[in-house]
Amino acid sequence: MLWRYIAKRLLIGVVQLFGLIIAVFFLIRLLPADPVSRLVGMNASEEAYAQAAAQLGLDQPVMTQLAQYLGLQPSVQPGLLQGSLGISWVTNEPVLSEIGAYLPVTIELITLAFIVALLVAVPVGMLGALNPGGRTDKGVFLYSLFAGSQPEFWWGLLFVYVFYYQLGVAPPPLGRLSPMTNPPDFVTGFMLIDTLIAGSLPKFLEALHHLMLPVLTLAFILSGPIIKMVRQNMLRALQSDFVLYANCIGLPKKRVARYALRAAMAPSMTLIGILYGFMLSGAVLVESVFSLGGIGQYSIRSVLAFDYPAIQGVVLIITAISLLVYLLLDLVHAAIDPRIAH
Amino acid sequence: MTDPSGPSDLPPLAVRKRDGLFIFGVTIVTVVCILAVIGPYIGPYDPTLTTPRVAYPPPGLFAIPGTLLGWINGTLEYPPHWMGTDASGYDIFSRVIAAPRTDLAIALAANALSLLLGVLLGLIAGYYRNWGTEFMMRVSDVMQSFPVFISAMVLVALAGRSTTNIVIALAFVYVPIYIRLTRAEVLSQKSRGFVEAARALGQPELTIALRHVLPNSMTPALIQSSVTIGFAILLTAGLSFVGAGVRPPTPEWGLMISTGANQIILGEWWPSVFPGIAISLTVFGFAVLGNALERRYEEGQ
Repeated sequence: MLWRYIAKRLLIGVVQLFGLIIAVFFLIRLLPADPVSRLVGMNASEEAYAQAAAQLGLDQPVMTQLAQYLGLQPSVQPGLLQGSLGISWVTNEPVLSEIGAYLPVTIELITLAFIVALLVAVPVGMLGALNPGGRTDKGVFLYSLFAGSQPEFWWGLLFVYVFYYQLGVAPPPLGRLSPMTNPPDFVTGFMLIDTLIAGSLPKFLEALHHLMLPVLTLAFILSGPIIKMVRQNMLRALQSDFVLYANCIGLPKKRVARYALRAAMAPSMTLIGILYGFMLSGAVLVESVFSLGGIGQYSIRSVLAFDYPAIQGVVLIITAISLLVYLLLDLVHAAIDPRIAH
Repeated sequence: MTDPSGPSDLPPLAVRKRDGLFIFGVTIVTVVCILAVIGPYIGPYDPTLTTPRVAYPPPGLFAIPGTLLGWINGTLEYPPHWMGTDASGYDIFSRVIAAPRTDLAIALAANALSLLLGVLLGLIAGYYRNWGTEFMMRVSDVMQSFPVFISAMVLVALAGRSTTNIVIALAFVYVPIYIRLTRAEVLSQKSRGFVEAARALGQPELTIALRHVLPNSMTPALIQSSVTIGFAILLTAGLSFVGAGVRPPTPEWGLMISTGANQIILGEWWPSVFPGIAISLTVFGFAVLGNALERRYEEGQ
């Protein structure tokens, strides 16, 4: 039963990804941008322009370009079916390996931010739900509405001003490590793990220190929707029959609240998954404020340079990961609440 | 997938006749709307022209009364820079109050466009269910799985950084939400008695869809509008922040924050703090309003 469910979801995911690939491919080619003149410059001679266009494969008919991109038609480069996302037009590096270097930064950032946000939001949301309509509940609700509607890049700058300039407890927003520090050897791309593999505790602490403000910023923004969701699901759980029953037979209040929390967390999983997928690209502004060099900044660079293979690659990878996260969390959801898979 | 955030079976927060939050939201939205009309004309300086005074800090709290007095008496050599000037010499106050013309106009236009398209397509998808509308829903699914910020950035950067293109890009991003909301509502409305009654009266299907089902199915989309406008302002500002939005020297909050971003580690906080407060309050105002409307709607149900 469960396996059929997984297989069905994976199949839908693959079809959706295929639709996405086609859509992105045509969308960026329909827009009136001229990547060739962006690359060779406005004043390039006609021969230079034609040569560059031929090199990028842009002189071919669009359907041929698509077939080459998908890897259905032999060309100089391997295509998607051969497991390649193409070569970046700007750096001449394979897009896949570039994404492999940028993506871990983002994953590290948003995973930590989610952990911090959940640690704060779950108790706060519960606090609101345990006394609905009360003063605490109103405060909690107002906070979640506020945090969920804020410009995160501005809060990042504000935190830099307060914690770096005024208090001096945070490092300047200039990357994952201070510019003077030698980065550890690239193993996983996750700075926190690579520093540990290199056996350097000071560098690990430094990497953690540099994540302090970006994680704080994102966790603040994320806490809004998460609190709102925990509060709502908790309220609904507290109204259900099993809580009424548990109260009737005189179970201690704390224990009832724990049961209700479990019931409330199951549906919350879905939204947390959606938020996580959203944050893969939604962290772009925070990455850019703190110059972290994550996948968001890679996408800014690619978009502003009209680097089509890189744009296609980023969108594809981010969406693929989001879909996988949804699936994974739906499985967790099914494990908590077995009715889902049936 | 279950929807974790769309319940209507919850006890609403105590709603009184005089809901302070609602008034707060309405006030903010009204002020911003008024500024969108007159903002560019009422500032002490032209929001798109520099002054010779570069990186002036705003007057300190204790200097404000003196400045105010000097301003009224006309003894100042130039009008005060209430929020200081940025590194190029633009007066920040004039730009902050001129910016709604850009930010709100983009957000409203993008929302109107996506609302119109989304409601129409949602009506079609819900009312006529065939392979064509099924296909449309799948396309809408794919569109919804696009990473929002990146697709908006791609559309604007590749189509050219103009206001029109930003509006189209935002509308593209928000259409699927409206399609989905309207379709769901149409599906629940079209099996109700009044539709059958209209059909029994022999009205043509098109009339039933447009005159009876459509007006009854628009409420969720209209409520969503308030939230969408807020997020559209955030997205517009974010696009300018990374250099894929409006061009300088257009007065726009995100652009102003981005101009001040490099100065903030040097302690010059005012170029980005003031426009940020403006965005923060505006978007919060729209969120509050949207929430109040949603609650009233749920109570009415």
